[in-house]
Amino acid sequence: MHAFRPLSLSVLGAVLVVLPSGCYKPGDAPTPGSRGERAASASSDAGPGETAGRTCTIGMSQCNLNEPWRVQMDADIRAAAEKHPNLKVIFKDAQNDTLKQRAHVEEYVGAKVDLILISPKEAAPLTEPVAKAVDAGIPVIVLDRAVQGDKYTCFIGADNVKIGKAAGRWIARQLGGRGKVVELKGLMTSTPGQDRHAGFRDAIGGTAIEVIFEADMKWLEPNARKEMESALARFDKIDAVYAHNDPGAHGAYLAAQAAGREKEMLFVGIDALPQEGVAYVKRGILSASFEYPTGGAEAIDAALKILAGEEVPKKIVLGSRVFTQENVGRGGEALE
Amino acid sequence: MNRSGLFVGLVTMVVGFTLAVVSRFGGVPVLLLDAVAWLAGFAGLAHDRASAYPYVLLAWYVATVVGVFIVLRACQNLDARRNRGVRLLAHPASRALIALLLVLLLGVLFDADGAFYKVQTHRDGLRQASVFGILACGMTLVIITGGIDLAVGSVLALAAVAFARMSIHWSWSPWLAVPLCLALGAACGGVSGTLAARFKVQPFIATLAMMVFARGLAKTVSGGMKVSTAVQNADGTYRYVEVPDVFRAIDSRLLADNVSMVTVVFLVCAALSWIALARHRWGRELYAIGGNEEAARLSGVLVDRAKVLAYAAAGLLAAVAGICQAAQEQQGDPEAGGGYELSAIAIVVIGGTNLMGGRGGIGLTLIGTLTIGYLEKILSINAVPESRRLMLTGIIIVAAVLTQRRSRT
Repeated sequence: MHAFRPLSLSVLGAVLVVLPSGCYKPGDAPTPGSRGERAASASSDAGPGETAGRTCTIGMSQCNLNEPWRVQMDADIRAAAEKHPNLKVIFKDAQNDTLKQRAHVEEYVGAKVDLILISPKEAAPLTEPVAKAVDAGIPVIVLDRAVQGDKYTCFIGADNVKIGKAAGRWIARQLGGRGKVVELKGLMTSTPGQDRHAGFRDAIGGTAIEVIFEADMKWLEPNARKEMESALARFDKIDAVYAHNDPGAHGAYLAAQAAGREKEMLFVGIDALPQEGVAYVKRGILSASFEYPTGGAEAIDAALKILAGEEVPKKIVLGSRVFTQENVGRGGEALE
Repeated sequence: MNRSGLFVGLVTMVVGFTLAVVSRFGGVPVLLLDAVAWLAGFAGLAHDRASAYPYVLLAWYVATVVGVFIVLRACQNLDARRNRGVRLLAHPASRALIALLLVLLLGVLFDADGAFYKVQTHRDGLRQASVFGILACGMTLVIITGGIDLAVGSVLALAAVAFARMSIHWSWSPWLAVPLCLALGAACGGVSGTLAARFKVQPFIATLAMMVFARGLAKTVSGGMKVSTAVQNADGTYRYVEVPDVFRAIDSRLLADNVSMVTVVFLVCAALSWIALARHRWGRELYAIGGNEEAARLSGVLVDRAKVLAYAAAGLLAAVAGICQAAQEQQGDPEAGGGYELSAIAIVVIGGTNLMGGRGGIGLTLIGTLTIGYLEKILSINAVPESRRLMLTGIIIVAAVLTQRRSRT
């Protein structure tokens, strides 16, 4: 591939002399206006200490782009990578197909990219392809969902149990430890759904908060609206709705509004994307939204460190923020 | 089966029904509950009397349904010409109504603390079913020609996204946005219809291609994101605009809050499709094509034109559904309508329209919409877990189709 082209080869040689362990030094000012091969050729005659960068190619495999949150993750990665002109990121979308995603990893290994980012659909079937990439000498950063074992370079993700717990504690505090709650679950066969459920139940355990109605809404707003209509038909008093994502909470709000009961209860969602959860909180639709960070920017940070030969922690747990009516103007508040 | 079969079926049905009603409104002997709880305990399904009770009800319900089946099967073998009752039972509309009544009986037995008897349950259930019903009307037209349209779900998403773009982002008047979206849907349908009719691509393949293409187009139009009231500025921040009035109007309610607007839209679509199909020359042509395409051609029917129009109508109705969907979600979601085409086909088939073409009608599809809609609503108000909901839906679809099975013709 491109390593065999004479120019790149000489560049690579020069870089190897300057920076034996990597191809980019974080903290170096990126050369403005010079991208790709041009940046590389410029640096080939630069002395030590100058911007020593050849283009580093990062392959990103996203498990699907049907969910806004994943679109946001790709956007965050793109935005972070654009600040570093000698990073080139290739994006692939596995369209929710594990085998397609496995093929992505194999394609990236075949193309000898410098680093692989992967946000896997499932752990087990992708563990081996990721391990093989690591064996082939390509560092792999795993995002959001982990793979099994320890044959990967770095895992970056948030803790859904913790976020569910925070949501549970927040609702309990708002309701004074007593009340009737509707839980609109994501897919209970998915890990985020299970974790957001478990954390929430853990937090309300021991209080007088009672979950009176629960249903799977499969992360989809129309389903959430339908299930909420059923809950409204069945119960004359509902104090709060806890939905596993913001579109779910929004669907519940629309159902309650249509029944003229939206003032009666709190609506709490998770994810807090700028155009969804945060927007809903700003407009007074949701009472609170808990951020589930994408880790896109952190992934590029870690990638730069790895490419420069620095050590990164094996596991990076991302912090989360809560957005409420009071603090949304200030950009939310970090969860402890 | 013959008259003795009829007798067995009637007895099973009446006994099952009586026991179900008595158990629901009277009560169940404690001894029986204990026995069921003990038996179900092995499967980990029930552990006390309260959790065993639904299983007892379900058992009586199943007995009723089985009884109905036996009766229907037995009637098939009776001479239809001699008996008016049998003739009535053999009519597809009666079969469809029986399926609907069985679903409603399920609601009576499992009324979720009386929620089933509230007006809002029915209003909201019909609202939820309306989008599927609109799609099913278009699907009926196509299926009667012996074709199928797999693209309706994607066209729905395309229309939803386009409508949201025009109304929310560009603040276009609904008088411009609605006709444009309808034209867009009709054009999509027209293209797959032309492929199927003139270029002789199998409808399954032609509409499969359109299904994939329209989904991609929807994602292109929306930029891969939901088109919502949060509009992205050039610098990446968001500003918020009001929900357009036309969205609120479509998602409003009429008749002292008792009927959703989208349900009215559905009924209008159904009425128009019914007139076209049952009262218009074009509708008769569709039946003729579905019955025997070659014979229709030989008797002077412009087969290609009639077929293209059928697919275009399906696309147009999908666009209507898309506009309703966008208004209810207050956004255009490029992922909307995924799998809706299968629900629409299920509704048409449960109603009793023949997948091979040539037989069926909008009236049947209307009943089918109610059957599926009520089934969904009843499972929802009872908060049945997703896993069991899917299994029950599968079983009930098969059961409803079995009631539709005709005698040896």
